Amino acid sequence: MNRKKGLAALCMAAALGGSVLTACSGPNPSSDGGDSGKVEEIVFAMPSFNRIPDDLSRVANAINAITVDKIGVKIDYRVYGPADYAQKVNLALQSGEKMDIFTTLGQFSNYVSKNQVYALDDLLAQHGKEMTAILDKDFGPDLLKANTINGQIYGIPVNKGMALPISFVYNADMLKGAGFSADDIESAEDLPAVFEAVKNANPDVVPFGPINVNPSDTNLVNLLKGKHKVDFLTDTTGVGVVVGDDGKVVNFYETDLFKNGARMMRDWYNKGYLQKDAATTTITSMEMIASGREFSFLGGYSGLEIGKTISAQSGKNVEAKRISPFYFDTGAVNAVSWMVSSTSKAPEAAVKFLNLLYTDEKLINTILYGIEGEDYVKVDEHHVRFPDGKDANTVPYTAMFSTGIVGSESLQYQFEGVSWSDIELKLRENKETERSPYFGFIFDQSQVKTQISAVNNVVNQYLPGLVTGSLDPETTLPKFVKALNDAGAADLIKSKQEQLDQWLASQGK
Amino acid sequence: MRHEYGRPSEWRKTAPLLMLAAPGLLYFLINSYIPMFGVFIAFKDINYAKGIFASDWVGFDNFQFLFKTTDAWIMTRNTLLYNLAFIVLGTVISIFIAILMSELLRKLYSKLFLSGLVLPNLISMVVLSMLVFAFLNADSGFVNKSILRPLGLPELNWYSEAKYWPYLLVFIQMWKTAGYGSIVYFASIAGIDKSIYEAAKIDGAGKLRQIRTITLPLLKPTVIVLGLISIGRIFNSDFGLFYQVPLNAGALYSTTQTIDTYVYRALMQLNDIGMSAAAGLYQSLVGFMLVVVVNAIVKRVNSENALF
Repeated sequence: MNRKKGLAALCMAAALGGSVLTACSGPNPSSDGGDSGKVEEIVFAMPSFNRIPDDLSRVANAINAITVDKIGVKIDYRVYGPADYAQKVNLALQSGEKMDIFTTLGQFSNYVSKNQVYALDDLLAQHGKEMTAILDKDFGPDLLKANTINGQIYGIPVNKGMALPISFVYNADMLKGAGFSADDIESAEDLPAVFEAVKNANPDVVPFGPINVNPSDTNLVNLLKGKHKVDFLTDTTGVGVVVGDDGKVVNFYETDLFKNGARMMRDWYNKGYLQKDAATTTITSMEMIASGREFSFLGGYSGLEIGKTISAQSGKNVEAKRISPFYFDTGAVNAVSWMVSSTSKAPEAAVKFLNLLYTDEKLINTILYGIEGEDYVKVDEHHVRFPDGKDANTVPYTAMFSTGIVGSESLQYQFEGVSWSDIELKLRENKETERSPYFGFIFDQSQVKTQISAVNNVVNQYLPGLVTGSLDPETTLPKFVKALNDAGAADLIKSKQEQLDQWLASQGK
Repeated sequence: MRHEYGRPSEWRKTAPLLMLAAPGLLYFLINSYIPMFGVFIAFKDINYAKGIFASDWVGFDNFQFLFKTTDAWIMTRNTLLYNLAFIVLGTVISIFIAILMSELLRKLYSKLFLSGLVLPNLISMVVLSMLVFAFLNADSGFVNKSILRPLGLPELNWYSEAKYWPYLLVFIQMWKTAGYGSIVYFASIAGIDKSIYEAAKIDGAGKLRQIRTITLPLLKPTVIVLGLISIGRIFNSDFGLFYQVPLNAGALYSTTQTIDTYVYRALMQLNDIGMSAAAGLYQSLVGFMLVVVVNAIVKRVNSENALF
């Protein structure tokens, strides 16, 4: 019997030993860094919406040629697709793997409240002067307020056209066939007449569809946000918002604004302007438009060239018409922010690199388009195209769809055919778009985590049905609001109001 | 001294068996026992600057979100009732299939049919959800377009009518897993001594009588072992079945929400490992307790059939 136990112990020891070995083999004992003059190495994780090539070394070498020369920093360049970017980054952060510079989609304050990111104030003053200068030039002052929590800057928003006014995106041939022109469309109220005519002219075509699916989103909420100046106060649930400038935090779904919006969608739905299964469909409007089965959708886009882009992607004659202004709340600006990990061994090198990432034209365009002559060719000062006979899928490297993710848009090359004046328009709109009086307020969710998780579930349950009109707001809205209150909406609103009042008081000083 | 003599022979006898078991033991050790070390994460407010060990203890705060709302009742009820239905119906249907198969005289046929029945189990839930969608789609789905419409019956918007989904989900789960589940029963039946049946035949027992008095009683231990194993996972649900197949439709939450989908939806944005660890711990603890309780009951009724 003793012997058996010994064997079991041996097995266990072997297993434990194995796991310890694998745990140790992760970080290489090579890069200690630290001393000045030595080249420091940092990990830079980049999201790409294009095909990710197997071999990144060519582009990584080109990037390093720039960074080692200019700031003495070597970049370990990682590229991940949108589906697993967040997962890869979170895994690296959680497991303590090396990860220095990463970005996020709408999760900024979460990373901060979990202490995952490095406070940048001192380093920015030292190594980020050029970057802050270009942000001031392209966006206007105080952009970094959107990333400031407790007086510390924790991230740098991507520098691009941030105003995304809601546009009505439609198949121009169908609009003409129905006897309307773009001039007939000024606001959402003009749309039902157009839908009716399109429906009569093309019985097989769905007049209107949700832009995103699973969960379905028709952009109704963003339409209302821009039109009625609603500040979502950085969390996406919509349960604690301020309408206008009265400083009172309310539940957006209890307001008449939302009720009327949901009624409008219900009306459209009942008249057959949306598919019966709009709330659960798995086919996006892009696909529906490309197949000629859908007439229109609502989308938020900066600049005026989106019609051309969608036409090129869908093969249909698509145009876009703005029907609502945009409203800058904090969440609109810090949604895509670059951050330095709090576990970074070389935060100084990371900030030096960030500085370059926003200000070095060559670096930005190498990351986006690869190497000149091999991955792209220049057309003129601002424009590039693929080498002859290549496209986005056959070129060795391109991350051209990441233009809204990285660096400064004013330094990026544009693809052939995109008018440069559009970039200038975007930069102008950055400065002219109305800002919420609470711009810079960031809600700290950590006190109401439980309520947020419960509220998220309720919103997921009811919102897709309401914004597509497939649920009747008269009967569903009261249920929705009750479920939100059961889930702790009041705590969330109270906590937000307190934080907002404090923030306002601190701003008054 | 006699004790010492006994050992080498015992060693020789058990060593090969232990070696056979070693890969399985290792698997459990690495995947189930070593990670158990992390249970304390469920009681911590993870702070990355401090690291997992130095993070603050928060007691049961991480568990709150599971019980905070009216959803808590719905998801617990759904998880339990669905699993109960799956266990009961699954066992009945699997045994039914196994008996039918074992009564087939030609081995070739039984192999053929069984493979056919096992096939659905190999289809991924995502693919299955598209198959279901092809049937239930409101505009062009098979059920609405080719059955209800020609019959002049009102068409249904399946993905917004929660009341049909309990039946649909149970049906889908049975279609997918019953064939696979019958393999174990099929093997047990094959292992029953044929002479028992012959004796029964001589005594004049018909086919049904043989099944009732020989096959079913001899299958009891298998049923109990498999039942206990499934009861241990009664608080877990097949995420694909409850998330992918209803296409994450909000209108169906009242009948498709289970603990797993709730945790997924709640924490997808928060990304809080403390709270997800809490949910996992809660599910395993309840499962563990249920196994112990049910096993105790089985032991009281018939101690031979108990698992431990």
